Amino acid sequence: MNENSMNYTVREYIKEVEKRLPEWLKDKKEHKEILADLEEHLWSKAAELSESGQPDENSVKLAIDHMGTPQNIAKEYKRRGEPKYYITKELWPYYTKALGAVFAVIVTLVVIGLIVSFFTGNGSFESLIGGLFTGIQIGLLLAFAIVTVIFVALSMEGYFPEDFKSKKEQQLMKELREKEIKEGVTPQPVKKPLKPFIKPGETIVGGGIALIFGIILLSQPFPTYMLRTDFIAILRIFGLLTMLEGTLDISRGILGNRRHNTHQALHAILIPLKLSVIPLIGILMNRPDIFPWFSEPWIHVGISVEFYGLYRGILAFVIVITCLTTIENIYNIIKIQKYK
Amino acid sequence: MQKKLIKKVKGMDTEFQEYASKFESEINRGISTLSILSIINQYGEDGVYGYQISKDLLDQTNRMLIIEEGTIYPILRKLEEDRIIDSKREKEGRKRKFYYITEHGEKIYNYLSGFFSILTEAIAPLFDVSVHLKQNKYFYCPACANKIDLKNLEAKYCDVCGHYIENELDERGLIK
Repeated sequence: MNENSMNYTVREYIKEVEKRLPEWLKDKKEHKEILADLEEHLWSKAAELSESGQPDENSVKLAIDHMGTPQNIAKEYKRRGEPKYYITKELWPYYTKALGAVFAVIVTLVVIGLIVSFFTGNGSFESLIGGLFTGIQIGLLLAFAIVTVIFVALSMEGYFPEDFKSKKEQQLMKELREKEIKEGVTPQPVKKPLKPFIKPGETIVGGGIALIFGIILLSQPFPTYMLRTDFIAILRIFGLLTMLEGTLDISRGILGNRRHNTHQALHAILIPLKLSVIPLIGILMNRPDIFPWFSEPWIHVGISVEFYGLYRGILAFVIVITCLTTIENIYNIIKIQKYK
Repeated sequence: MQKKLIKKVKGMDTEFQEYASKFESEINRGISTLSILSIINQYGEDGVYGYQISKDLLDQTNRMLIIEEGTIYPILRKLEEDRIIDSKREKEGRKRKFYYITEHGEKIYNYLSGFFSILTEAIAPLFDVSVHLKQNKYFYCPACANKIDLKNLEAKYCDVCGHYIENELDERGLIK
């Protein structure tokens, strides 16, 4: 093995370690230093293990063996935080807050649904109460599963709440901590911390709700025999788009106030995703005959001709709102540029 | 994290080997971190870099505590994050990162080292071995097990739990 080949072997090993490092660490400048330290260590070990005192083919291989597998090194970096029922103690307060918020939203949505159904006279009181409990049960179960999976994954990766803060905030916290060690007192921040461009908890919760809503529209766990097949298909496509949107929002929440380029890319993907809803609304505008209308005794398919104007007006309003939310995405792309 | 002794034995019953290996990991985990801290403590203000720590660990443990050397860095990072140690990078040459124990870290280390020593002495009879604490070098706080170096004995109170130690020192004839 010549020098180039040894360099290649070492580089490949270091690359493999880098690939497996947790995301929160890859985002810090420090990770380059960690890799440099590992490489320095590896070469020193190879020199120690070689008979000539200079690294050679065998000693490099042996040194890599002594270093341990990239998986084990990465695993040690992920071993962070105090375990508490699969979610670390550090993330636990955020987990309970997220669960509380999602549960509150679901209960509110189901209750609103119940009130609407009650006033539109759909179903008996017993069936509405039954629906209320079933809706809450399914919603809470789904939300619990999704939020828990997200937080368990974050805990397994070794995330800490501060990893969601921007680099500038992290730097400020580090400076404060260093000052605290030097002076032995807890100093007050010298300047106001930067306002984060994203609230991770809220974004994850919002994304989770969108995901659940999307799953419901896609799987349609409600009676559909009265609905037109083309309307059911539109609902399914809408559900799929909502699910994708929710997933992207959850990803943005997990990224937190870092990875500016990825945030911008996600916002850019969200724009066509949101706009793709417009053709669906267009179809609905042109086909008032497939839209279900809630009236006695249950659901009447097709809007009455006298309401066509109102119906199209509402849908046009939804299109305007959709366009406005895409403007928000563009604004965010520009805003995040300033944080780089 | 550690290279397990049991894994070196070839042709063993797999179930036995897996169980023993898991147990070895559990025993080694805390001990490794404490041993790393002990090495850093030995270097005091001079500080020590990762590669030297791994070498010293092998040399000073009769090559028994064999850590996968790459995993030393995550442990060091965690200790640094917890403010137990601090680090400085060489400005010239190989630009190695030197680690130093902090004042807070030293206090933690003395306590943990005392606790571990007393525990080892206490459980030794279970395995029919004997462990003797160096009572002429260190004083172990009777209230919290903190290890106090008799060379630097100035305080009348344990700096961890505040226990009044002068009487005990006097009884043992440790006050000059």
